[in-house]
Amino acid sequence: MTVKLTASNLTFYYGATAAIKNVTLSVKSNTVLALIGPSGCGKSTFLRCINRMNDIIPNTRVEGDINIDNESIYHPRFNVTSLRRRVGMVFQKSNPFPKSIFENIAYGLKINGIKDKYEIESIVEKSLKSTALWDEVKDRLDESALGLSGGQQQRLCIARTIAVQPEVILMDEPASALDPISTQKIEELIQDLKKNYTIIIVTHNMQQAARVSDETAFFYLGDLIEINSTEKIFTKPDIEMTENYITGKFG
Amino acid sequence: MITHLEQELEAIKSKMFEMADLAIESIAKSVRALKDSDSHLAEQVIRDDSMLDDLEVEIDNECIRILVTRQPAAVHLRFVLAMLKINTDLERIGDLATNIANEAINLHGRPTLKPLVDIPRMADLAITMLRDVFTAITERKAEKAREIISRDRDIDTLNMQVYRELFTYMAENAHNISQALGLIMVSKALERIGDHITNIAERAIYYIEGVDIRHADE
Repeated sequence: MTVKLTASNLTFYYGATAAIKNVTLSVKSNTVLALIGPSGCGKSTFLRCINRMNDIIPNTRVEGDINIDNESIYHPRFNVTSLRRRVGMVFQKSNPFPKSIFENIAYGLKINGIKDKYEIESIVEKSLKSTALWDEVKDRLDESALGLSGGQQQRLCIARTIAVQPEVILMDEPASALDPISTQKIEELIQDLKKNYTIIIVTHNMQQAARVSDETAFFYLGDLIEINSTEKIFTKPDIEMTENYITGKFG
Repeated sequence: MITHLEQELEAIKSKMFEMADLAIESIAKSVRALKDSDSHLAEQVIRDDSMLDDLEVEIDNECIRILVTRQPAAVHLRFVLAMLKINTDLERIGDLATNIANEAINLHGRPTLKPLVDIPRMADLAITMLRDVFTAITERKAEKAREIISRDRDIDTLNMQVYRELFTYMAENAHNISQALGLIMVSKALERIGDHITNIAERAIYYIEGVDIRHADE
């Protein structure tokens, strides 16, 4: 399996405080990496470094580097807009645009220069199908996306993300505001999506990490403590601190 | 819609069936080796036992992985727990078939005490029970599994009959003792195989109905 993304000695500062320290890890193509750890451990900060979302926060700076397909995304000449197209993101709270279901997906396509009506329709349908939402919404594509249930809105946001065909999808606690059935649907969806995308997911729910990911990285106070196959992390982690965390002995 | 978990459970089930086929083959071949005094066939049974051992480890690992990463619940959980145990029973059946094959090698080339009738019959009963218990698992029919358990008595009865008969041979002539003891070991192995199949049926009922019927009549 080829490596899709590599972080090398990545340190991120909010002012003088390092929120993540010297993190080195790599993510293989078409796999799911879960980032776990207690609140404030740096997992979300790390996730936001991958599409340079942290750039917009004042008084922050990055040391080290992240490469996607062996290309440095922090290189001065690197196009951040194209990065955000290549690296999609899904947030904890679903955030559909206050527009129709159709427009929510078509919008990203249009601003990416796709004008052909039939092409847009076909991508909308394909995106909704791949998030298992098509059958639920196909008769009301013109209705407001805000009328969908929370779980449906979140799947719509995932459909919107994949419509522009990113290579990497970042998910920041995508199911933490959802009921168990919607959560299960999102988790199943993640398993399906990894056939075509590389996924990095932050989750507070360790069981969820175990269910959806191939590899798990455990962060603590900004340090990457351990990264290993998910099965290994949850049966016999190499580091005692990881074992203590996943067995609930601290935090 | 079939979930990813269900696909993985289906894969475990296929492996378990593969293991059951190997176990059935081992029982049949070991007893045939004994009956036909075919030491080559007996050696093959001993060699092939490693395939059962490998599958046991493979299925165990897969079950552990699923418990950890899929956190199955209800019928899915019962299925994984049942598979973990059925796995061990099948591996033990393989070992017992190997014991029979070893006796076939020990007895090879010696004049037979008597034509073997009851021992092959015990093997046939065990093979049918084993086939049926896996059908019960596929069809999820607990009643069928219960009926299979009741058949174990037939194997036990034949075992006692074999014992009695062989004791007579031993009492008649001390030269018969070592050969008769060998056959007693074979009969005992088949009786134990029946017990393991009973265990499998009990675990099948646990999987299907969620009830534990072990030791119910003790």
